[in-house]
Amino acid sequence: MFVGESLERVDALEKVIGKGIFAGDLRMEGMAFGVIVRAERFHARIASIDASEAIATEGVVRVLTHKDIPGANGYGVLKKDQPYLAAGYIRFFGEPVAMVIAQNERIAREAALRMRVDYEDMEPLNDPFLAAASTVNIHKGGNLLCRKTVIKGDTKRAEGQSHVVIERTYSTRRVDHVFLECEAGLAFPDQSGRITVISSTQNIHYKQKEVSRLLSLPEERIRIIQAPTGGGFGGKLDVTVEGYAALAAYLTGRPVMVRYTREESMLSNTKRHPLYMNYRTGAAKDGRLTFLEAKITGDTGAYASYGEVVALRAAVHATGPYQVPNVHVESSMYFTNNPVCGAMRGFGIPQTAFAHESQMDLLAEALCIDPLEIRKINALRKGSETATGQVLNHSVGFYDALKCIEPAWKERKKTGNSGFGLGCMFYGIGNTGVPNPSACHLTLMPEGKIGFHLGACDIGQGSDTVLTQILLETLGLEKNCVLLVKGDSDTTRDAGSSSASRQTYITGKAVFEAGRKLRSYLEEKGIDKGRSLKDICSEASGEGGPIFDGFFDPPTTSLDPVTGQGIPYATYAFAAHMTEVEVDPATCVCRVKKVHAAHDVGRAINPDAVRGQIFGGVAMGIGFALMEEFIPSRSKSLYSYYIPTSMDMPAVETYLVEDQEPTGPYGAKGVGEPALIPQGASIMNAIRDATGIRGFELPCNFERLCLLAEKV
Amino acid sequence: MRLPHFEYAAPRSLDEALRLLAEAGEEARVMAGGTDLIVRMKHGLLKPGFVISLAEIEELRPISFDRRKGLSIGATARLAEVASHAEIKRRYPAVASAAEKTANVQVRNMGTVGGNICNAAPSADNAPTLIAMGAEAVIAGGKGKRSVPLDRFFKGPRLTALEPDEILTAIQVPVPPPYSGASYQHLSARGRVDISAVCVGAMTVFEGSTCREIRIALGAVGPKPLRALEAENLLKGQSWTADMIDSAGRKAAEEARPISDVRASAEYRRQMVDVLTRRAVLEARSMAGKRRR
Ligand SMILES: Cc1cc2nc3c(=O)[nH]c(=O)nc-3n(C[C@H](O)[C@H](O)[C@H](O)COP(=O)(O)OP(=O)(O)OC[C@H]3O[C@@H](n4cnc5c(N)ncnc54)[C@H](O)[C@@H]3O)c2cc1C
Repeated sequence: MFVGESLERVDALEKVIGKGIFAGDLRMEGMAFGVIVRAERFHARIASIDASEAIATEGVVRVLTHKDIPGANGYGVLKKDQPYLAAGYIRFFGEPVAMVIAQNERIAREAALRMRVDYEDMEPLNDPFLAAASTVNIHKGGNLLCRKTVIKGDTKRAEGQSHVVIERTYSTRRVDHVFLECEAGLAFPDQSGRITVISSTQNIHYKQKEVSRLLSLPEERIRIIQAPTGGGFGGKLDVTVEGYAALAAYLTGRPVMVRYTREESMLSNTKRHPLYMNYRTGAAKDGRLTFLEAKITGDTGAYASYGEVVALRAAVHATGPYQVPNVHVESSMYFTNNPVCGAMRGFGIPQTAFAHESQMDLLAEALCIDPLEIRKINALRKGSETATGQVLNHSVGFYDALKCIEPAWKERKKTGNSGFGLGCMFYGIGNTGVPNPSACHLTLMPEGKIGFHLGACDIGQGSDTVLTQILLETLGLEKNCVLLVKGDSDTTRDAGSSSASRQTYITGKAVFEAGRKLRSYLEEKGIDKGRSLKDICSEASGEGGPIFDGFFDPPTTSLDPVTGQGIPYATYAFAAHMTEVEVDPATCVCRVKKVHAAHDVGRAINPDAVRGQIFGGVAMGIGFALMEEFIPSRSKSLYSYYIPTSMDMPAVETYLVEDQEPTGPYGAKGVGEPALIPQGASIMNAIRDATGIRGFELPCNFERLCLLAEKV
Repeated sequence: MRLPHFEYAAPRSLDEALRLLAEAGEEARVMAGGTDLIVRMKHGLLKPGFVISLAEIEELRPISFDRRKGLSIGATARLAEVASHAEIKRRYPAVASAAEKTANVQVRNMGTVGGNICNAAPSADNAPTLIAMGAEAVIAGGKGKRSVPLDRFFKGPRLTALEPDEILTAIQVPVPPPYSGASYQHLSARGRVDISAVCVGAMTVFEGSTCREIRIALGAVGPKPLRALEAENLLKGQSWTADMIDSAGRKAAEEARPISDVRASAEYRRQMVDVLTRRAVLEARSMAGKRRR
């Protein structure tokens, strides 16, 4: 009925006709604008801040520094170490120092340029290895943010029994999310003194907590509403403009808008972590993997953000979607004076996939086994054990995904300068080894509709549509029976963040649970015996209105702090990509021609939405592999930072594998991040096939490839 | 990023435009499609008090071909018009190709070849081919009309031979001689929809198997589009061998004066001048073979 149908997106019409009002376009009576003044220093002490000229500017309402913050001047998902406004110390290029609030945006921007800040520069640590060795501490506790380990079996003994051992080091660079819509938010106080923030965000309940700490107000005095959001990719998980807009509204008593230009967005937003990955992988003569030793070193930049999450995810996924009996992975994150690295689509796994997929091809080459064959030999399947000792009992569609692309792989024909490469991945859905529940509720509205209260943020990926489909399927009712009440901390429950590819699986299951409760209520009230929904609704609202809630927290266990053993995720997505590239041997310009992408999503609730994610993932993977590299102070805008355009898009053939997940709604898992993860790796293997050159450093742009070609 | 305040006029005749320009002096800026000017004004890099649009001046718009005088591209002819113009595609395919390879659809529908030339970015996509084909800038000003060969029109990054009171009215490209051919080659980090990291235009005229005339122009590898004169000399008057073409490529690379920036390193650029020069002259030669008249 609804599940498995490519329903039109519920938000399509309002976006197409321009009715959806994005946060940056909101206007309110008496609204002021806030602009952040940022340090253009890597590491420094603030000697003095002189705001006199800025304050004297006509139209300026107020200038704020850290001294004006009523509550805690620090935010962060795990560690609250990132100041909203620097308290005397600058740790990265772009760190906020002050905020100028003015009648309008032009005045605010002009006055911001009149702020005089003097600094005493300090030696910057711009590399994690330097940070590890340095006696200068960026934070009090030292430069090591965390070290995560996954240890299983005996890698030393396994090495002795291996036929080949391949050791290589891979590295990746910082990448910006470049969501279409830059950060924007409007905050305003109401008569009762509550502060409301409407912003472009991936999570509302988390931001409610952060703003409450910042203003030192109880959570119920803070209301966060999600505006239609033009992309996030993890970059709108941390507090962006919300804190500043709320602070300014609270202190001035008027509505305040903060919206970033692309330049400000690139200067301030978190980035994908650069990882340095030393891999030693062994295999037996028949191609079976014997062991993996990996040492992963990450640069988390100036503040913790999601650094710990990325370190842990990288460790847990270091093997790739393969059975490896002996594993020793050490994954460390260091603070540096680089931009803050945080959550970005895949949380470190696009990076590790580059390493493990290159290793698979190197092993295949050394053992004279076909690259697809060696993956099939080692593929995780039903009953396999992962590196963390988790036995996979269901929904392990990796082998099937490989079978999907096998015909294309076997029929591939190299012509001229073309080459073909494989890239595979597995990805745990939801947060790692911690509870990450989701809740929602349904109400009956007097006008005869079902109120669907949804705290999950649709950030363009289409969760509103997919979750509505799950609800309709469960209720067995018509589409227009449901009224979506969404993205508002006042009227919805905490559904967690739109991250970790978790909303379809986790919130979807919560929706399914709530839907089932409502379904049996409706049956009890005679919906199948000719009673109308409207009738039931009006009777129910007389009763005080029953509420049907849904809740789901995927079954996981915490991981052993030393060995990393445990059940980090209830389920995993799997994928295999095959990519064809063409490389001009003289200029080293690489074009991606064609991609075959097979994904085990459990169940495709909305097949077109799944394909949309895959296309987007391919595009982002091309950027990651071939052109994106954020260099602090040099990458300033899309003029100096490259992302692919539609002209760089190859043809993409998708294959949807549906090995249903019993704990998921109608068997669904997730695809948001998996869509991207194998793409970069498959491009690198294809370049090797086309040119005979293997790159170990991303992005592999024409310059890097040319340098490698010269060495050959 | 907002546009600062400025006065605006859209005169209907060239004379009026010239008069307004002369009166306003250094304060004023001429605008064709505005795709570069407006962006630079938004970024605060240019702050003209007065913008004179050429869009309403009928006489600056046409593209025309004359069997004796050759091709005339009016100053406000859009990049998209040049790229798709039947006569240009037939007689000057490299000119059409360079216009087609400039920027993206939106910019090509607004921006002009004239603006691309007056803008005088070292990487201007339309400059190398036009220089190679011996084009001239037709200029009108207070002191009357004059013509400047395009390879003397560029003076440096964003500097041209135009006096403050002058307007480019057209670009005049001579009739391609019999047995001539031209080519435009470019390269950029993104592949497409991007400012060129290196670009090369070449034009050759053959007499049998002998190259009677050749011009090679390099873009984005110096402060302005450059002629690769020594490379030309290696090929001029010769019946080309593979070795000769290789030496010409290397020579052009030596003549280039690239810098390192976000688009590419100087080393890579120099290497690519070699590659693209060889490709350009070879393609120009094969075009010459196909084009008898
Ligand atoms: C997104 C984007 C991508 C771009 N990509 C490319 C690219 O790939 N390659 C490339 O070469 N360029 C590129 N450009 C730059 C620009 O679009 C082109 O140079 C275009 O051809 C300029 O033409 P225009 O008519 O818009 O010029 P305008 O912006 O109108 O003018 C440019 C300059 O020339 C002067 N001028 C214009 N016409 C005259 C005249 N008749 N007489 C005297 N002075 C005059 C103006 O005063 C101004 O200084 C890009 C620009 C953008 C915004």
